[in-house]
Order: sequence, then structure tokens, then C-alpha cells
Amino acid sequence: MYSVTMPEEKVPWLLDRLKEMGSVFGPISNGPEYSFGPVDRVEDLCLDYTTTILPPKKFFFAPRETIFNFEDGEISKISDMIPEESKVLFGIHPCDLSALEFLDRVFLGFRSDPRYLRRRNNFFIIALTCRSVSEHCFCQSMGTGPGASGGFDILMTHIGRRYLLESGSRDGEDLLRSLDLTDASEEDFEAKRALIERLKGEFKRSVDMDGMPELCMQSQTHPVWEKNGEICLACGQCGMVCPTCFCFDIKDRVDSSLRRGERYREWDVCLLKEFSQVAMGGNFRPERSARLRQFICHNLSYGSYQYSLTKCIGCGRCIKVCPVDIDITEIARELRETQPRLVVS
Amino acid sequence: MKDPYQRHPAEVLDIKSETPNTNTYTLAFTNDELQSNFSFIPGQFIVISFPGIGEAMFSIASSASTRESFDTTIRKVGRVTTKIHELEVGDQVWVAGPYGKGWPMKSLEGKDVLIITGGIGLPSPRPVIIHIEEHREDFGFLEILYGTRTPEESIFEWEYEKWHKMDRTRLMLTVDRVPEGEEWQHRVGVVTTLFEDMVTGPRNAGVLICGPEVMMHFAVQDLMRRGFHGDQLYLSLERRMRCGIAQCGHCQLGPYFVCKDGPVFKYSDIRGIPDCGI
Repeated sequence: MYSVTMPEEKVPWLLDRLKEMGSVFGPISNGPEYSFGPVDRVEDLCLDYTTTILPPKKFFFAPRETIFNFEDGEISKISDMIPEESKVLFGIHPCDLSALEFLDRVFLGFRSDPRYLRRRNNFFIIALTCRSVSEHCFCQSMGTGPGASGGFDILMTHIGRRYLLESGSRDGEDLLRSLDLTDASEEDFEAKRALIERLKGEFKRSVDMDGMPELCMQSQTHPVWEKNGEICLACGQCGMVCPTCFCFDIKDRVDSSLRRGERYREWDVCLLKEFSQVAMGGNFRPERSARLRQFICHNLSYGSYQYSLTKCIGCGRCIKVCPVDIDITEIARELRETQPRLVVS
Repeated sequence: MKDPYQRHPAEVLDIKSETPNTNTYTLAFTNDELQSNFSFIPGQFIVISFPGIGEAMFSIASSASTRESFDTTIRKVGRVTTKIHELEVGDQVWVAGPYGKGWPMKSLEGKDVLIITGGIGLPSPRPVIIHIEEHREDFGFLEILYGTRTPEESIFEWEYEKWHKMDRTRLMLTVDRVPEGEEWQHRVGVVTTLFEDMVTGPRNAGVLICGPEVMMHFAVQDLMRRGFHGDQLYLSLERRMRCGIAQCGHCQLGPYFVCKDGPVFKYSDIRGIPDCGI
């Protein structure tokens, strides 16, 4: 590992260096919110952002992408559909970074999806330690933030008027060494530790994850599902903004020639009624409460059994986006605090 | 890199009519090497795909020891199955698989085998029946209970005589109702009504169940009352599936992916799991 410091005035210079490596994507302002998008000018970059509307998942697992093309009933070759090209993801927060670790297990674990793998390999990743905690954040209790421990090529941390840059990979170290910056001092690391300590005191939300996967499995008839299912609109926005939601539907589209078309996959969400529908109108989760339970329990419980990682990374996007204020941290609290007890007569 | 979403051309070698809306299709991959390397475990499934229309998952219904071709039995219910029913011998389809965990063939050896199935659920355990026929000495008594709504809906009727004649084998049939004018010499009632005459007991037996979830629910409850243990009951579950490789997320059942961890599950492993109606 190699670490340097860089005065904050040099961010435009760093950006120019990164652009030499390929297209740079980072947090940019989007109305009153933030998005990950192409960073053309340094003025677009918002390194003090809190949370983006959509997580950077979209760069690796596209909202909609071709599986194969076909013509006259024949499937075209499907390899190399995503070109090999060098790109930079600049300023990803620790929680979103840990979501990539989860997605890696989904798309590269049981079977490897070449589309995901190619996109993943295309990106050089520069993580950014958070500078503030939003009212929806609870990464600390999920063990995914506010500091990052791995999964990046370079980790940047804003300390005073400068950045601490730490390498997390060979490529990252090579880049840092080529920049000819000052080696980091013990004082710089101390400043980073102080920042993280300060952030840790700012969280307003948390989930007590101790035994939570088992608790969810045992709480399938808990009244919290009915209560929140009553108000849930089943709009699916929570799943659309979730950094670890990986569900997709597969569809075919034929063009106006009726001879050519594509098979594509598109993000899908378990909150939608059609999600669990099978032949002849059968549905395994017809009630909203069952679908909400699936979303919450997948995040706090089932994911841990499937991938040995908690699916929820504590970014708070699902809380922020919910039109009826359903809050995964509140549900977790209710599950723990009001376990229905067996009535002994 | 191998793409798990690739589908391979296969030819329709034969079509056998089972019922007015159900056919058995014999398929073989066009690529000889692919076909001769295609092996599966009874209970596994494949995807049949039509570019421009879509794809769906189906149980493999034929002998696992046949390397020349494979069968799948399909009822016409939706977009993809309607397209399948338009196929003629010599037509091409796109296929991939096999997927999932099949029936526990090894652990059934030396045991009595009870197969309880309903309607379009019979194709999944049919390769088990064929396997037992081919390795008759390795298994105990084989009892097959099969129920459909009406006599007309029974599939593999052309096999019943052979199954009846198989050594240490018993086939019992039932229908929910007999429409006027149709003949029926077997039982009338849901499949669990056959349990009264069942000879297989809990001792040293394995039970394979495949059918509508509500049928499986009542079968399991009844069997448990008769002293069967959750460890000896195996069920093949149906869920919406898009990918077959635990990525699309549709078939999730609590901590499981039905396409990867199933479709065959031991009852004791799924008992009490959310959204499991059994």
C-alpha cells in the first residue's frame, strides 16, 4: 500500500490525469440531488455530495441491456458485446462500494455473467470517504461505512484543505506513484481517523444486526408486515434505487421489420405484483404485505444466507424515496422490540 | 468466456399428443457434441427459447440414460407454450440447461419409492420411474399415485400398461371428476384419497411429490399424519424463473433460489419458510 497527500486545489489536475485513462464518471449535481454521471468539467464534480439518487450499480448492471440480438429466428453471437475500454469511477462512497462486493457474488459467484464482468473490469475505482452523514444513512450499523476498507484502486479522504490518497490495488499504487505527490504522514492518517470518528457520532439511524437474519426468518407472521403492507403503494421505487437489488426480467423486442430484434434484461422489483406470477395466473406473493416482507427480509436476512453478506448496505435510499415513509430501520426495530409472544393460557 | 445466457439450436425429432392441450416433444441439440455431452439428473429442467417471443422453463421428462435426445411434456397455457404447440417435426428451437438440483437418486437406492403427482407434474418424476425400471434391483417397492382433474387430462397413458407390469410396482390413478360420457375405471377424488390403499409406509421409504402447490400441501400434511418424516419427503416446486442461474431473482423462496437450490427440496428444509404454501 502506498499513500500520498494532495492539496485540494489539485483536484482539477488529478481529474485531467484520470481522463487520460478513460472516461471519468463521478458525483455531479442533478437539480437538488446528486447523480453519478460523466464528469466533463471539474466544476460538475460534487465531492461533498451525500447520496446519489441511483447507486453506481447502473454502470455494472445496466438498467436495461441486451442479452443477444436475433435475426430471422437465429441468435447472433453474444460474446464481446460490451467493449473493453478503460473507465474511471470517481468518488464512490464506502457503502456503495460494499454493494459492488455483494453484486460480485450475485453475478460472478454461482455462474459468471460476462456482461457484468466486462463492465466491472473496465472500471478503475476511486472511492471517497464520506464528508457528512445524511439523515437517512445507517451504514455504520451495517458495517459498510463511513470508512472503506477495500474494493477500491484508490481511496480519497478529505482532510482539512487536502486529500489523503491511499492505494488499494497494484494499479492504484502505480497511479499514485506516477503522480509525484508528497508521501502521506502520520498526521494525515490521524486526520482521517478523526474525520471517521466525527462521522460516527452523526448517525441518526441504525439497525441492530445481531441475530437479525434469524429474527426475520422467525417473524414471518409479525404484524409489522400487515401494518406496512397496508400503506405500501407497491410502486417498487425502493428496489429501483437499492444498490444491491439485482432482480431483472428478460424480455424480447422485435423491430418494425419483424425480422430483427433483441433479447434484453431490465431491472425488476419484487414489490411489483407481476414479479411472482406464474402460468395460469398463479402468484406466490399476491399481497402487498408479502411483497414488502420479501424486500425487507431479502435485505436484512435472506441475502446473508445466499451470499454470506448482508444485502442491505445502509445507504438509506429506500427510506428517502418511499412516498409513504416506510423505513427499513423502523421495521427492523419493531421486529426486535415487539416479538409476538406465544400466549400461554 | 462462456455465456450462461447462450441458447443452442435443437431440432424437434418427434411430437406425441398426450391430451388435447398437452404434447410430449422429443428434442436433440443440432450440435452432435453438445447432444452427446448433455447429461442430467431426473428432476432437472431446461429452458426452451424463441427469439422474438420469449422463453420458459420445463422439466426434462425422458430417461437420463438416453444420450440421443431428450423429452419435455408441455401444456399450452401462455405465449411460449402456444408457440411450442405450433411446432412441427424438423422445426428448430433454442435450448439451454440442464438447471437445478434433481431428485435424490442416490439416497433413494435401497428404499421403497412413493411418487405422488398431479396433472402436469408427472413429467418431472418420469425419469425417476424410468431409472428405477432400468436399475430395478437397486430400489425397493415403487408406488405411483397420479391424479388429474378429468380422465382426459392424464398424460403418459401409453406408459401405464408398462408401469403396471413392472416388477414390484404399483400405479394408482384418480380424477377429480368424470365428465358425462367419459369412461373411467379408477378412483374418483383428489390424489390423497389414494392414500387409503397405499402400501408404502414410512419405514425405509422416499417420497417424491410434484404437482400444484395446494395438492402438495395436503399430500404432505396427510403423509406427516401417517408417520412420514419431513426428511423423507421431496417436493419439486414451481416458481417464476427467468434465468435458471440464480441471478434474475424471481424464484427466490426465503433464503433459497428455486432454480439453483431446487426445484427439488427436502420438505424439512423448506417447512415454515415464507411464501411456501406447503
